[in-house]
Amino acid sequence: MSEPILLLASGRRWLRSLALSFLVTICACSSDSAAPPTTLYVLTFNMPHMEAEFSLWAKEFRRLHPGFDVQQIDRKGSNWAAYYHTQVIAGTAPDIIDTQGAIWLQYASQGGLLDLSRYLERDRDFTNQFYPELIESWRYGGKNYGVPLYFTKTLLFYNKQMFKEAGLTQPPRSFAELMSHARKLAGTGRYGFMTLNFDWLYWPLFAMNDIRLVTPDCKRAAFNTPAARMLIEELAAATAEGIISPTSWTGRWVEPNGMFAAGNVGMFNAHSTALLWIMSNAQWVNEGSVGFAQMPGDWSVPNAHALHISASTRYPEQAWDFIKIVTQGSGALAFGKKLNSPTGNRVVNAQLREYFAQTNPMVLDVLGTQFEYLDRMVANWPLARDTEIKHAFYPEIQSAILGNKSAADALASAERKVNHILSRPGGIPEDCG
Amino acid sequence: MLAPALAIFIAYRLAPLFWNMVLSVQHWSMFQAPTFAGLYHYRELFLYDDTLRQSFENTLIYLASSPIAIAIAFALALLLDRPLRARGLYRAIFFISYPVMTVVVAVIWQWLFHEKVGLVNHVLLSTGIVGKPLHFLQDDQLALGAVIVASMWQVIGLYMIILLTGLQSIPATLKQAAASDGAGPWQRFRHITLPLMRPSIFLCVVVAIVNSFAAFDLVYVMTDGGPGHASEMMITYIYDVAFSLGRFDYAAALTIFNFAFFMMLAWFANRMAGGDAGGGDGR
Repeated sequence: MSEPILLLASGRRWLRSLALSFLVTICACSSDSAAPPTTLYVLTFNMPHMEAEFSLWAKEFRRLHPGFDVQQIDRKGSNWAAYYHTQVIAGTAPDIIDTQGAIWLQYASQGGLLDLSRYLERDRDFTNQFYPELIESWRYGGKNYGVPLYFTKTLLFYNKQMFKEAGLTQPPRSFAELMSHARKLAGTGRYGFMTLNFDWLYWPLFAMNDIRLVTPDCKRAAFNTPAARMLIEELAAATAEGIISPTSWTGRWVEPNGMFAAGNVGMFNAHSTALLWIMSNAQWVNEGSVGFAQMPGDWSVPNAHALHISASTRYPEQAWDFIKIVTQGSGALAFGKKLNSPTGNRVVNAQLREYFAQTNPMVLDVLGTQFEYLDRMVANWPLARDTEIKHAFYPEIQSAILGNKSAADALASAERKVNHILSRPGGIPEDCG
Repeated sequence: MLAPALAIFIAYRLAPLFWNMVLSVQHWSMFQAPTFAGLYHYRELFLYDDTLRQSFENTLIYLASSPIAIAIAFALALLLDRPLRARGLYRAIFFISYPVMTVVVAVIWQWLFHEKVGLVNHVLLSTGIVGKPLHFLQDDQLALGAVIVASMWQVIGLYMIILLTGLQSIPATLKQAAASDGAGPWQRFRHITLPLMRPSIFLCVVVAIVNSFAAFDLVYVMTDGGPGHASEMMITYIYDVAFSLGRFDYAAALTIFNFAFFMMLAWFANRMAGGDAGGGDGR
């Protein structure tokens, strides 16, 4: 054979050997190494501070489901929806989502969430640990879509020193008294009253004036009444006079909480987790300096978090098990301790009460108020388009209270928009009201 | 030769636009199969959407502020076109705001407008122009103006460079000839500089139109369209409807409306500039 042919033959041998060694390596790798774990993704709502607790839950989950892992994706409240919506459209919805407020209704009504009724029925021992009213809070169209993670509702916090200086001894018991207290508390650089405004948290002001958002069958707007006009005009006048802080209507979370923490606001309508924020930012806040009471009429707005399973998940049983880890036993206890907040689980809350009795009596007292007057909770209407209605309603009311529009015009405009949203097909469950 | 560019244009411009048109005539939800909606969303858009009206007006106000920015930039360009000591330094100083990331510009102006520590309020208070701090970004009447000021500050540098380039391309002999014929400075500006600057001014106008319709990051960071919808722009409103409310079908209808208006404006600007993207002879 000539030299080039020999070289070619030798090259072919080398090539065959090389290909064979590649195949052997691939086979060896696939037989020896374990398959990577299947990961469940959990999208949380503004909980970057729960990383340590999440690690504990993940560890427990891996013990229960070897071959599975779980990963937290956290987004701030303002970015949460945008992130979730893009993930859904991309076909990569997280397996479990944590929602705040009523945003879940939109997803449940469109079939984006898994009906958990079967699981709750099957695991009665687990389900019985929860407050029945809370389990009911995540029902839409006769089906259950969520397991409560933690629960808060609004309270009226008040600055005891400012109350003393104004000669006030008791928190207000009616709307008229709320406004007269506010007038007495306001002064140079001081505001008498302030409220949070997101997620309908200001609605107790409407409820105590007997104003309803929608008719009992949820089909029409019901808020454009003389009482609503008077209320908005009164709130606008008090805001213009510096009795109510304008931040009530423009701030979201940090600004109003920061103002109360600065000690210049007499009364503050906020949900109980605001207290944690305020306590961590103001040394003066303790049970001697800040009081709390139900809002007049005992009206409150719940602002809870719940865990849901995406309808598109391929691992519903594993997702359900993860939810059980987080919402009961040591998992939920760790959560409540970290957040200084009650969970939806009665058994865990009993343990939390013991814990706070020793560590933080003020939190214990606040915790005690969270499960009172559950029948006076408002703004928890089961409307699938709650977010849209909120977007249509609030800017109008805000505009009127800030003096940029008349109350009558704002209410009429809001009514027209809300009626249009309600008139669109779907979005109102048959059992609404 | 054109194929790669054309492919990119089709994939990133025409296809999304076509998809938006399809989406805008459907009831489309994130979790359900779409159904035909006809002109349902367009009806809502024209009959019920006050926010659209407000964001549209705001976008027009934003756009209407552009001539002021272009005029300031023109004045700066005329100044810097003269033989001046440290001219390069001045040009760099005026231009430097443009390459700064818009988010950074927004944060800078948030601080400048801050009611407690902001420089603007400090100046207004110390000169006695106002008696108490103005809440620029929380005030219905001031929020949009505050955003426009920040936007002008950022873009004036770019306009200035475009116009300066235009000024430098005018042959000096033309002005010299006019001067020797007895034309004064104003006549030279009116009859020589201004007509020959038309392509540069047109380019600035186009940039201004694009900026007005794409003014997202500045508004999003400074005011998020608020308070209420006082500083809402078309683009932030479309984003809000799509990504916060999850109404992608309605957002698509808004996008088509926005696009149609944008095209109309571009056509009008082109006509005003002579009909050939500002570069033709006007025939």
